Amino acid sequence: MTTHDIYLLSPEISMAGLAILLILVDLVVSRKSILTIVAVLGLAVPLALSIVLWFDLTDQAATQMKADFGTEIVTFVVDKFSLFFKFLLVGATALVILASSEYVSKFKNFHGEFFALILFATSGMMLLASTVELITIYVSLELTALPIAALAAFMRDSRSSEAGLKFLILSAISSAVLLYGMVIIYGFTGTTVLADIATQLGGLLDGESAFGGNALLFGVILVIAGFGFKISSVPFQMWAPDVYEGSPTPVTAFLSVASKAAGFAVILRVFYIAFSAEILSVDWSAVFAVLAAVSMTFGNLVAIRQNNIKRMLGYSTIAHAGYLMVGLAAVASRTPDADAIIGPSGVLFYLSGYAITNLAAFSAVIAISNRINSDLIDSFAGMARRAPFLAGVLGFSMISLIGVPPTVGFMSKIYIFGAAVDTNLEWLAVTGMVNSVISAYYYLRVVKVMYLREPIDDAPVGSALPMKLAVMVTMAGTAFFGIYPTPLINLARSAVDVLVS
Amino acid sequence: MLDDYFRQYALLAIFAAFAVAVPTGMLLMSWMLSIMKIRPQKPSLIKQAIYECGFETLSGRWSQFNFRFYAFALIFVVFDVEVVFLFPWAASFGVMSATFGAFVLLEMVVFVGILVVGWLYAWRKGALEWS
Repeated sequence: MTTHDIYLLSPEISMAGLAILLILVDLVVSRKSILTIVAVLGLAVPLALSIVLWFDLTDQAATQMKADFGTEIVTFVVDKFSLFFKFLLVGATALVILASSEYVSKFKNFHGEFFALILFATSGMMLLASTVELITIYVSLELTALPIAALAAFMRDSRSSEAGLKFLILSAISSAVLLYGMVIIYGFTGTTVLADIATQLGGLLDGESAFGGNALLFGVILVIAGFGFKISSVPFQMWAPDVYEGSPTPVTAFLSVASKAAGFAVILRVFYIAFSAEILSVDWSAVFAVLAAVSMTFGNLVAIRQNNIKRMLGYSTIAHAGYLMVGLAAVASRTPDADAIIGPSGVLFYLSGYAITNLAAFSAVIAISNRINSDLIDSFAGMARRAPFLAGVLGFSMISLIGVPPTVGFMSKIYIFGAAVDTNLEWLAVTGMVNSVISAYYYLRVVKVMYLREPIDDAPVGSALPMKLAVMVTMAGTAFFGIYPTPLINLARSAVDVLVS
Repeated sequence: MLDDYFRQYALLAIFAAFAVAVPTGMLLMSWMLSIMKIRPQKPSLIKQAIYECGFETLSGRWSQFNFRFYAFALIFVVFDVEVVFLFPWAASFGVMSATFGAFVLLEMVVFVGILVVGWLYAWRKGALEWS
């Protein structure tokens, strides 16, 4: 540990520090609304430190943190890729906290704890985006999962406890599976550092058998299964709908956006750095292609039958994990003349677009369902008259989730399916488009209920200022990047350069 | 190299053999002594009672505990585990501070500081109150 290492870790350290500060502030203030303000303003510190680090990067050079175990091991890097995710995660966390400002009054005495747990989980996710070593990845994953399990069980009713317990048990199982895969990979290559794994594999692969041997194949499959749980892809999705429905709604939003982003960050890092050899990447891209097709089809078909909007959005995130995995499947080694970074940059672009859209949808759902005390889609009837602004935002974000212009959902779908076509995965692009059409049914049903049904009650549904702010920011982002996505695409493309060079 | 490796299995085998031989030998000896009528055999109620493992159970074992013990146990475990981390730190303090300097002390201050904040929170939120 040197002073320079602390500088590299400063966004994560300040994030954890902010969480501790919130716990202390919670003890001394009696007006709990101060906590929201402290949390949101405090998030400017990790954001500012990340920006400083971004401008401190000289060209492609990654800034590394080394652990000295006799031989030096690189465990943590700061590069554009990790900083991109840090921006995304800090932004998503700020919006989740803004959106939960009204919801937390349900927790009576535990406002500070709720925000602190969210911030601790975020610091784990930020670490996850920067780690380049298997053991550090595992530790960061646990740092992410444990606060989320507590958050899922925060409501103290039977639904919420079930969600917390389910998340805890299934994340423990998936961690075990992931660790088993890591052990096998370590046994095969003798190192836990991703870059060294790639070098070792370069010497071991003979070009004949898939993955250079069944042992490595088994290890890679286990790692895919372990990460599959984290991003809720089929066939590892069974925890998602129950946890999404039972958790407090802000936690559901946090899970579906931040947790998923961190999962994809670590998958991209592991597969693009450790298993980048051409013979390997063709094989794992085939695995991801099949998982993508199955995930989106399953998620969309099951979402059709849901009556609870949180559960519906839960299945919708499974479908979106499928669309995102299209970008993982689109590796450049499938075609000789493909654009090397189109796949991973597609994942980053889609993730940020999806984050903005989904947060808009969730903020509107939180604002409405908190006032009417119901999560059922039918109870949103006539909402266009009771809360015209919130209904408008929810409708707009539904349109973005389908992928209709002029929204960011449309742009990111074009980009990621374009990546599939460029890498000879036309069938996957077609599957994705057919699925988008299927998804229109259940997304538009929400719009139909809000606009065409008679309201159950005539009382208008209002919302507080922080809530309005969250809704407006996400809505503006959805519209802005839907019309002019170039800055976001350029940012995503420059971020993934480190993965393919 | 390989011999060294297998020698460790031999040690394990010797250890296992002893582990089996000692209790079996004791039982065998006791049995032999009773056959040879050297050991008297006069069983009584007190002799046949359970010993070495504490008292006989007095009531049903499915008794209920006060749920508050749970919170206390959690707080206890946190500080118990803290000590587990403090010992190796204290033992290697001299060696580590030679290479890393003041960071070693600072790290433990941060670690204990975080736990103190947790304790403060538990205290102020009333987790230590019995009623």
